[in-house]
Amino acid sequence: MSLIDTRDLYKIYKLGDVEVRALNGVSVSIEQGEFVAVMGPSGSGKSTFMNILGCLDKPTAGKYILDGIDVTATNLSKLAGVRNRKIGFVFQGFNLIKRTTAIENVELPMIYNQTPAKERHQKAMEALEAVGLAQRAYHLPNQLSGGQQQRVAIARSLVCDAPIIFADEPTGNLDTKMSIEVMELFTRLNKEMGKTIILITHEPDIAEYASRLIKFKDGQKISDEVKK
Amino acid sequence: MIDTLYSIFKISLKSIFANKMRAALTSLGIIIGVAAVITVFAVGTATKKSISDRFSNMGTNIIFLRQPWDLDESISSPKDITMDDVLAIREIEGVSAAAPYIQDAFSVKYKNTSVGLSVLATDTDIFKAYDWTVEKGRSFTEKEISDYAQVMVIGATSAKTIFGDVEPLNKTVVLNNIPFTVVGVTQKTGSSGFGFNIDEGALIPYTTGKVKMNTGWSNSDRRALDRVVIKVEDFNTIENMKVDISNAVRNTHHIHPLGKDDFQLDDFASFVEQAKSTATTMSLFLGIIGAVSLIVGGIGVMNIMLVSVTERTREIGIRMAIGATSWNIRLQFLVESMTLSCMGGLIGIILGIIFTLFVAKYMSLSAELSVWAILVSAGFSAATGIFFGYYPAYKASRLTPIDALRYE
Repeated sequence: MSLIDTRDLYKIYKLGDVEVRALNGVSVSIEQGEFVAVMGPSGSGKSTFMNILGCLDKPTAGKYILDGIDVTATNLSKLAGVRNRKIGFVFQGFNLIKRTTAIENVELPMIYNQTPAKERHQKAMEALEAVGLAQRAYHLPNQLSGGQQQRVAIARSLVCDAPIIFADEPTGNLDTKMSIEVMELFTRLNKEMGKTIILITHEPDIAEYASRLIKFKDGQKISDEVKK
Repeated sequence: MIDTLYSIFKISLKSIFANKMRAALTSLGIIIGVAAVITVFAVGTATKKSISDRFSNMGTNIIFLRQPWDLDESISSPKDITMDDVLAIREIEGVSAAAPYIQDAFSVKYKNTSVGLSVLATDTDIFKAYDWTVEKGRSFTEKEISDYAQVMVIGATSAKTIFGDVEPLNKTVVLNNIPFTVVGVTQKTGSSGFGFNIDEGALIPYTTGKVKMNTGWSNSDRRALDRVVIKVEDFNTIENMKVDISNAVRNTHHIHPLGKDDFQLDDFASFVEQAKSTATTMSLFLGIIGAVSLIVGGIGVMNIMLVSVTERTREIGIRMAIGATSWNIRLQFLVESMTLSCMGGLIGIILGIIFTLFVAKYMSLSAELSVWAILVSAGFSAATGIFFGYYPAYKASRLTPIDALRYE
């Protein structure tokens, strides 16, 4: 069984009388350990697709099985635990909580799954070490560079041992050097830790890091190819 | 679980302290409300207690018989209060004393000293009624009363003012150009309550008073009694006793069974109750003002919490994305509003205690802190936090993660 399995996903918004089909029947299967890039122009539905895969949003119709859990049949409020244990998010805007230090940001997901304080601290430190930021653990986000902030966000996505990382334009706010740093980190996580990574981007050279490329247009999957 | 709660509590504290000025201003309403409630309750309790204290040593089993100040016009010829009434009342079972009472102010001369005194013309029953005791010398004798004797029992403070260190007994003082011999000095009572202040006054026989105190009044030798001071044996029977006394006086005044009373009976119990209920009404009124400011304070907390939820919509989205449940989010904002209110409550309690001590010290009111008021306002401020924090917290928890994350 695939880690991620979607069947005919539809997401339909109504804007007044106009019906917008953000997703128009998408079926995708992703196996454990894959590194998938999702590309497409803005409005192609790739972000909507990721939000649904990430259990942040629900499809209007269709079926989505995540690691054996029927997400479409589960109440949105009950999905908090699924997001906590199965999924790590990395966003374009980093989405760190500004008032709290790097290590506190990394500890946050564990607060919501009842991890004892001592273990929380230890695991957060390990995750920061894995992204090479252990010495910056007690800095606030605004004391870190964009690349460092993104690495803190990656550490946060690792800390609950979630099998999947969703990265929505993770290099969108970063310069080339930092982008390469972050992408190399993703590659390492995929190769060494076996994380399944689903990356959304519109930059072809970023998509190059992935081993599988899915292209979206007008709410539909138009191509799906595995590289050599 | 405890760990999670503790962490959420820490998160809440952190966001409060990230905005110290705002937190302080938000709490201000609660601070003022709680401080006001505590101070008002303390002062109110103290006022009531001081009223009770002041009247309790006067004895609440005292009844006054007197002519009404505003006599009903339908009564054409009201009868004076006389010794006939006193004698009739003494016959009633349950009456332990009934004393005639005529009060006037005179200047009392001894050698070159002249002092203004309140003089009460009465008989020996007054000692029983008011629990006065003669410390030096003696009281009037029956014979002195019937003989219109010019004798005087003087209060402790008056004796000191007039005679200084000289022994007052058997000295002659001049009152209204009439010489009186001092036969006794009363023990200091120390009470300046309701009624006659014996410490700063003097007593003469009512017979002498009726005849000799008539300057400025009609030249009759029967000056009416101002009132009769009646003491009943048991405070609890006071209402029944008033009926008996009323019947006796109607009888001596020859009032027709259907006629109206031409006299009035007052007792301290109703006086004390009235004073107490005035104090209660007053503190209730002030308490309501305090409560209103607590509610206004609560609305302030709610307002700031709503702003805070809107401001931090994105943060809520992040927390939800990494696994916070609706309940976690709700708890976070509830703890925040409760912390704000409880901090306000705590500061309010401290300020309330300081105000109370200040009032007690500088306004010579024996204000007593009421534990009850402190507990109630502490509870109220926590309840304010929950009540006014619930809606913003609920609102925050109802956001969907994707809407919250997209919020700019």
